[in-house]
Amino acid sequence: MGKIVLVARLAFRDIRRHKAQAVLLLLAITAATTTLALGLALNGVTNHPYLQTRALTNGPDLVAGYGVRLGVSGPGSGPTAVSAAQVQADTRTLTHLSGVTGYSGPYPVASVIMRARGLTVPVQAEGRGQAPAAVDQPKLTAGSWVRPGGVVIERTFAEALGVGVGDRVTLDGRPFTVAGIAVTAAAAPYPNCEDTNCMFTGPEMGPRAASTLSTLNVGLAWVTEADARAMASPRAPLSYILNLKLKDPATAPAVANRFLSADGGPGGAIAQGIDSINTWQDISTAAGQLVQDEQGVLRAGALLAVLLAVASVAVLAGGRMAERTRRVGLLKAVGSTPGLVAAVLVAENLAVALAAAVAGLVIGWAAAPLITNPGAGLVGTAGTPAITPATIGLTVGVALAVALASTLVPAVRAARSSTVSALADSPRPPRRRASLIALSARLPVPLLLGIRMAAGRLRRAVLGAASIAVTSAGIVAVLAFRATVGRDLGQGAGRIGDPVVTRDTQMLLVVTIVLVALAVLNAVCTAWATVLDYRRSAALARALGASPRQVSAGVAWAQVLPAVPGTLLGIPLGLALFLAADGGGQVTIPAVWWLAATVIGTLAAVAVLASIPAQIGTRRSSAQVLQAETA
Amino acid sequence: MNGSDGGTCVLRARGLRKEYGKNGGLVRAVNSVDLDVTAGETVAVMGPSGCGKSTLLYLLGGLDRPTAGEISLGGQRLDQMSERGLARLRRDAVGFVFQAFHLMDELTAVENVELPALLAGRPPGAARKRATELLDRVGLADRAKFLPTALSGGQRQRVAIARALVAEPQVVLADEPTGNLDSAATVEVLRLFDQLHAAGQTLVIVTHDPRVAATADRMISMRDGAFTDQTTLRGGTTGRLGTLAGLEG
Amino acid sequence: MQQEAVLALLAKEPTYGYQLRARLQQALGPVGDTMNAGQIYVTLSRLEKAGQVTCERDPGLPDRPDRKVYSLTPAGQQRVALWLADVSWPGPGLAEFHLKLIAAAAAGLADPITIIDAQRRELLRQLRDVQRAAMAEPDGSEAAPLLEGIALRLQADLAWLEACEQNWTNRKRSGS
Repeated sequence: MGKIVLVARLAFRDIRRHKAQAVLLLLAITAATTTLALGLALNGVTNHPYLQTRALTNGPDLVAGYGVRLGVSGPGSGPTAVSAAQVQADTRTLTHLSGVTGYSGPYPVASVIMRARGLTVPVQAEGRGQAPAAVDQPKLTAGSWVRPGGVVIERTFAEALGVGVGDRVTLDGRPFTVAGIAVTAAAAPYPNCEDTNCMFTGPEMGPRAASTLSTLNVGLAWVTEADARAMASPRAPLSYILNLKLKDPATAPAVANRFLSADGGPGGAIAQGIDSINTWQDISTAAGQLVQDEQGVLRAGALLAVLLAVASVAVLAGGRMAERTRRVGLLKAVGSTPGLVAAVLVAENLAVALAAAVAGLVIGWAAAPLITNPGAGLVGTAGTPAITPATIGLTVGVALAVALASTLVPAVRAARSSTVSALADSPRPPRRRASLIALSARLPVPLLLGIRMAAGRLRRAVLGAASIAVTSAGIVAVLAFRATVGRDLGQGAGRIGDPVVTRDTQMLLVVTIVLVALAVLNAVCTAWATVLDYRRSAALARALGASPRQVSAGVAWAQVLPAVPGTLLGIPLGLALFLAADGGGQVTIPAVWWLAATVIGTLAAVAVLASIPAQIGTRRSSAQVLQAETA
Repeated sequence: MNGSDGGTCVLRARGLRKEYGKNGGLVRAVNSVDLDVTAGETVAVMGPSGCGKSTLLYLLGGLDRPTAGEISLGGQRLDQMSERGLARLRRDAVGFVFQAFHLMDELTAVENVELPALLAGRPPGAARKRATELLDRVGLADRAKFLPTALSGGQRQRVAIARALVAEPQVVLADEPTGNLDSAATVEVLRLFDQLHAAGQTLVIVTHDPRVAATADRMISMRDGAFTDQTTLRGGTTGRLGTLAGLEG
Repeated sequence: MQQEAVLALLAKEPTYGYQLRARLQQALGPVGDTMNAGQIYVTLSRLEKAGQVTCERDPGLPDRPDRKVYSLTPAGQQRVALWLADVSWPGPGLAEFHLKLIAAAAAGLADPITIIDAQRRELLRQLRDVQRAAMAEPDGSEAAPLLEGIALRLQADLAWLEACEQNWTNRKRSGS
């Protein structure tokens, strides 16, 4: 027990003495744990708001779309309308399924092109009556319900378009006024409407769609039944939507399965004309797409942040170890076992890591509501995500693991070192690399100094390169994301916002900022450690005739040189990262000049950041450093 | 304190002062020092530890800035020079020898010696050649490829002296050059200083070892930051060696 | 007993015999224990015969050497002045130089630091001579150890001079 108290006391006293280093360490690990906590907190946050919307709108358990056959006679052929008799028969089949306790519809759905605020977008216009429906009555969040010439637009879609109540739009060429904005649980919010029920039967979605439309995503809107029927045409026939309520909502997937054919497509055992059946669970998942994407991004970001944190802490720990050799020697000389010595060294870092874990959890818990806002398409907030014991455990565990992994090796080495040499406080001499020394002799002075400094502490140079690679990978992943999205969205006149993309971009931006902040920290730490290590050599170089500018340029070069392979390596790494996070889709390689700008920008940033500690370090007159050794 | 003979004045200081701290805690490390060093002269500054002699040397070499006073080296004013100018001075006009040698442990002897030339921008081939010549001159030609850890104290200091000579400096400044050496190594270094003196090199040596001071042409005593005494050591003595050894003369 | 030392102790003012003896004992400490008590009076009578010291008898006191009052003559003063300026080395030993410093300080005749500096200069010159001679000797010369010995003793003496200087600087600072 006494030993533990002793270890704790020594550790805390040492932290107090080196406050700046402890703060740096805290920042590095906190950034990683915050990202991790945020990612974990997002788990399972999706269902809540959807359930609220479902309750408010009396959402359906099953939604069936039918009345139109798409591309039945082969691709390129347009949709064919099903006969009215078939429609009636399908309706009866559906409403007489066992377990069905209520239904609304069938509602006619017209596929039209809407022009609003200079944008041209495909819309599925559902025809409704004035009276509230038994199942799925969309909840108005602004304005009033449909009327002749009045259209109600789904909320996320309206936000993406930028339209409000009272705006004038055209549907299928006819003028309409926006009568209201509403949310529904019968379809996923824009732009994922298509994943559930929005099928666009118009011809405009052909091969040249991208050039005429502002977006390929279909939006949802409601009009009067009469208006919907009026907008149908042979080219774009009406389809029908039927909302069903089941006695036991949990059985919805089982019921839907009976409509699937052997290969999982429509036209299965029960009814031939049914084009799509969606369960409320499907819609819920699609509605949560927004948050799921964010989760993926955050998880990838957290991984990168943790990697960077490990690198930063390793550099910090390595730098601190160099100063500690004498203290280690003292401890051993008065009788501490190597185990105790290592324990003290590791305990300091663990204590800081613990504090960082707590800070990360608190910040993550506070910031989670900001990003778990499920989007405009669902009513209700996600509520404060629960900090489960699992989250706490994992975050703390990761923080401790980071601290342990990066300090264990130096601590053990320091503890095993010879006591005598530790007391003499001879710092670990730099390694000699004859080829690099010979090479550097031919180069200008700053490069000469920089190469020799980097070669002397190769492990640190490699760590620096790895950190830069990780940061660069993050930036390249963001660029790849933007390039891919840019291609997907099409070149239509006026860009329409894709909420998922916007949120993803925001999330990526947050992650990138965290990564960049960590990388800055890392660069400063590495430069500071380098300056400490090379204080004597720098003073000597100045005594032998190098100017202060040459010396600080040398320190900067010592970091920029390893950063070059780092940034270059980050490009393929970033693309691979994007592919992994995107789920194996296609990746568009960002434009060459964007990549070049990333590389050059990163190197420039490294150089600038490295020169800050260098400037501060060389301010101390070299006479003092050199004399200190002789005293 | 003027130089002994005529001859060009290589190093000149007037009213040199270096202070640390302020008000109550003011420490005058160097307190109004005047100095002239003529070309080819060896000057020794002796004094107890803490008297400011090392500080004085670092001021003379441009490694530190004086609080007040002027210093001229070869006609150029050091106290008014920029940091770049001082750096240039240190590689072209001044050679430093330190008590702790201050060699780079990861460089061989010849790489250590050529370093100031490389810093001055001389081509690597020429620098290497000059370094090899100097190592030969100090008698370490066979140890050129050795690392400092493989050399004895006296050998390391000789390498450091060779390094100080690389740029053919106007003056070599030595701070307690024998402080870390035993008596045999001290003799090696003194012999070398003697050779340099014979070749016309100007030397300013700071020391508390009388053996080192005795090799100088002129010895200056320093106490509490100021010069207190000066002696020209050349020329006659009042005792004969016989009497010193106890022989009755 | 070194004659010049006794003369110098008289330089400040006429002194009783017993006071002179006390002064010497204080200056020499345990080193003076081997000194014969009457030695100083023998020296004083010799100096009187040489005309460098005069002595007077205090009327009310017995006629004993320690009760007499001694003072310097002009010849005595001159001899003291010459002695203070003499830097030849090695003299009769450490005690003499030590007494020289004390006497000079007590009588206000000279600053001990100045005397030390002057002596040091001389010793350095001699050290230089010895070192030159040693370096000029060929390797393996038989005379080399002798020269080394002289050099080492000179170094030792110089170190002692430094200690004296330190001591006298401190005394000056604390105003004694």
